[in-house]
Amino acid sequence: MSVPASTKSAIAEVPFGGNEVRLTSRQWLVALAIIALTLVATPRLWVKFERFTTGSDYRIPYQLSNDYWLYARRLGQVADARHVIVLGDSVVWGEYVLPDGTLSHFLNQEAGKPDRFINAGVNGLFPLAQEGLIDDYGQALRHQKVILHYNVLWMTSPKADLSTTKEEPFNHSRLVPQFSPRIPCYKADSTERLSAIAERHIGFLAWVNHLQNAYFSQKSIPQWTLADDGGDPLQYPNAWKNPLAQITLTVPSAPQTDPQRGPHSPRHKPWTEPAQFDWVDLDSSLQWHAFQRVLTTLRQRDNDVLVLLGPFNEHMLSGENRAAYRTLRDGIARWLVQHRIPHMAPETLPSPLYADASHPLTQGYDLLAKRIYGAEDFQRWLTAP
Amino acid sequence: MLFHTWPFLVFLSVVLPVFFALRKTGLWLPWLTLASYFFYGWWNPYYLFLVLYSTTLDFFLVVLMDRCPPAGEKVDVASRLTRLRFDDGVLKAAFVVCVVAALGSLSLALAGPRTLRPMMAVLGVIVLLMALGALYSSRRIWLAISVANNLALLLFFKYARFAVGNLNAVFTGLHLPGLHLPDPSTLMPSGWSYVLPVGISFFTFQSLSYTIDFYHGKVQRERNFLRFATFVCFFPQLMAGPIERARHLLPQFRQFPQIRLRNFTDGASLFLVGLFKKLALANYLALYVERVYDNPRAASAPELILGTIAFGWQIFFDFSGYTDMARGVAKLMGFNLILNFCNPYLAASLSEFWSRWHISLSTWFRDYVYIPLGGNRLGWFNTYRNLFLTFLISGIWHGAAWTFVVWGALHGLGVLITRELERTAIYRERVPKLFKQAGVFAFVSFAWIFFRAESLNDALLIVRRIFTAAWRDPHIPALMAALVGSVWLYEFWYESRFRDLLKSSFVRVGVAVGMVLYLCLCSTGGGTFIYFQF
Repeated sequence: MSVPASTKSAIAEVPFGGNEVRLTSRQWLVALAIIALTLVATPRLWVKFERFTTGSDYRIPYQLSNDYWLYARRLGQVADARHVIVLGDSVVWGEYVLPDGTLSHFLNQEAGKPDRFINAGVNGLFPLAQEGLIDDYGQALRHQKVILHYNVLWMTSPKADLSTTKEEPFNHSRLVPQFSPRIPCYKADSTERLSAIAERHIGFLAWVNHLQNAYFSQKSIPQWTLADDGGDPLQYPNAWKNPLAQITLTVPSAPQTDPQRGPHSPRHKPWTEPAQFDWVDLDSSLQWHAFQRVLTTLRQRDNDVLVLLGPFNEHMLSGENRAAYRTLRDGIARWLVQHRIPHMAPETLPSPLYADASHPLTQGYDLLAKRIYGAEDFQRWLTAP
Repeated sequence: MLFHTWPFLVFLSVVLPVFFALRKTGLWLPWLTLASYFFYGWWNPYYLFLVLYSTTLDFFLVVLMDRCPPAGEKVDVASRLTRLRFDDGVLKAAFVVCVVAALGSLSLALAGPRTLRPMMAVLGVIVLLMALGALYSSRRIWLAISVANNLALLLFFKYARFAVGNLNAVFTGLHLPGLHLPDPSTLMPSGWSYVLPVGISFFTFQSLSYTIDFYHGKVQRERNFLRFATFVCFFPQLMAGPIERARHLLPQFRQFPQIRLRNFTDGASLFLVGLFKKLALANYLALYVERVYDNPRAASAPELILGTIAFGWQIFFDFSGYTDMARGVAKLMGFNLILNFCNPYLAASLSEFWSRWHISLSTWFRDYVYIPLGGNRLGWFNTYRNLFLTFLISGIWHGAAWTFVVWGALHGLGVLITRELERTAIYRERVPKLFKQAGVFAFVSFAWIFFRAESLNDALLIVRRIFTAAWRDPHIPALMAALVGSVWLYEFWYESRFRDLLKSSFVRVGVAVGMVLYLCLCSTGGGTFIYFQF
């Protein structure tokens, strides 16, 4: 059946619209070429123009914890066999300590070289998120020696393991597996999940995220122009600022003084409250399985990985809870042995050297570094070609 | 599923290739229907039943209408009964089925499960009316059923709570505590939540236009159910229009459309403009509007003025952005949807504004409300009464709140006044066009206060504060002002004699590249569309 002539004319008569943005195929080709070139070239060229000062004891500043593009850039910067990359969460990053109080700092001190060990920890980075970080932003990490820290803190409860079915907000949600394996407490809708995947695979979007993190207080530019100062009455200091002037082409560094961290901070003090944990089984733990996958990925990229297990604050635990922890820890160690993965499980530090269940204080890191560096197994691994 | 989200991209990347692959088979139409139902069901699968119900009923009502004498033909009762008894098997079967269904429904309404009783009562009445239609062999009754059924759906889901709340307030005011109507949500079958089905105002109007047009002989009966179902639920325009007419869209589904390269380039162009309007402009403006309207008591006079103007642009970008994307997606598949917006803020009169704003709804109300009311055929008083009533109904169509009623009434009054002004030579010939445009924009913006405010009290408060509150820095971002200013300038340019400059490759490519890069750098999240609530 054919369309009647009157219908054809009615269809043809529909006006295009109220504008002239009506590109021909040739114009589209030109536009797409310019867009593609811009999207591909901008993040690459950006590295050449933006100053990124690091130096020894550098760690990604706390306020840039979600800047994964910068993390990838940092890994690219230290992609050299001279360096040993220390990967992990806030235990590696140093939640309660200053940059010169971290594990990598004291390991460097032991080694007598300021940048032998690189702090590549990220605050709040649990294994499920680490998996995404290493998969999509850790491509530069190849043929290197890597110390991979495993914090059993992520197995202290179904909530910490993210295996509870109740919806829970958590950090770095854009890094976790979005569809498979399923994370029961992650209830983002498909739009959010797909946009997280897109950001991880389209370099330009990750770079935009970098701009937002580095120059616009973790906001999109429009949101930044509307941001208030929190005062009373509210003021909107950015309303008339030029957003382009914000881009100083220098990656912000950590503030000179950090009242939240270091020996002089009120948070830098020994733990006080004992705890009772609802440990998650090794077989059913989402975090442990994710850690295993991270390990596999790193080894597939020809990295020489040493797993650092703990040391967890056993002083906090009592009786049966401590026994349950040890069963778990031994299970992990057994698996590592079975798979011939070099690992270390240093002794628990003295009680006053812990700030909480897993984070040492400055002196704790010092002692831990001495124990690790002094261990024969570690030296054998470190000096092996 | 929203056009500007990744799931839609995945959806489209499956639907389009399969649609093209099926072009030489008859399966492209079922595929389009299936895709459309999936698109709608993604939001709420339960409410697919509503679309199906409305579609099926209107389809079969027209089938039955077709078997009755044309409207206006006088047929006496005796010959109708003869026709029922001896001539028409379909009407006879319809009569029997309707009587049985009516008895069944009414029995359930009296003695069935408590949660089903109200629904069964309504259904019983509808099928009883249908039996009457078959008995009298009357087109008018079929049409009345279609109108009543579609309006009943709208009234129940959109206005019932508003009406019940107001009636209960009246009962309380009259000290009649014994009279208290239940909340409409209690009438829902168990397991169903009482929420406004997205797009109900659009698909019911679209379906209704088919039955009315058929009644008036303006469109032929559609014999293919799938084609009609696709017409009602065609996914690009299902949620928020444009409200298509059967005579325009239905014929496009009769054969696989001719696909040319132009379809892709035009479709992509429309989609890009719509995406930019939504993500870069509407969502950005929404942040400022929310700041002002969420707490009007704290806002200064300039903030309220600019917040209102910003809302005017927000709703324009939001709604016309949706329409552009809908038209773009349809275009990619070779279908043409009607133009719904054409730079409304350049209108020099309110009548012109309504011929540029939500064109498909304006013409729907013109054809199915204003003209049936008598249009301009019965003298100036009746013309103005009809105009005012049409705008009032249009206001109520937008939502169940007094704010929408006032908004509609304001536009009704505004149109009457500007029509009178246009009759005077001084206004027509001496007042510069730019001045008229500014006046229309100011009036439309003023009316938006009632459209956007949470309540009538809030709206009145905002109006009062605009004239009485302190003058402080409104803190409107320069970037926002620059973006809206650029779009306005572009529109003026587009409608000027220098329009051809905009057709140059340099400008077209530059604008497209600029929009894409801005979207990549600065888009402001997702967010749903304002008109989904209507």
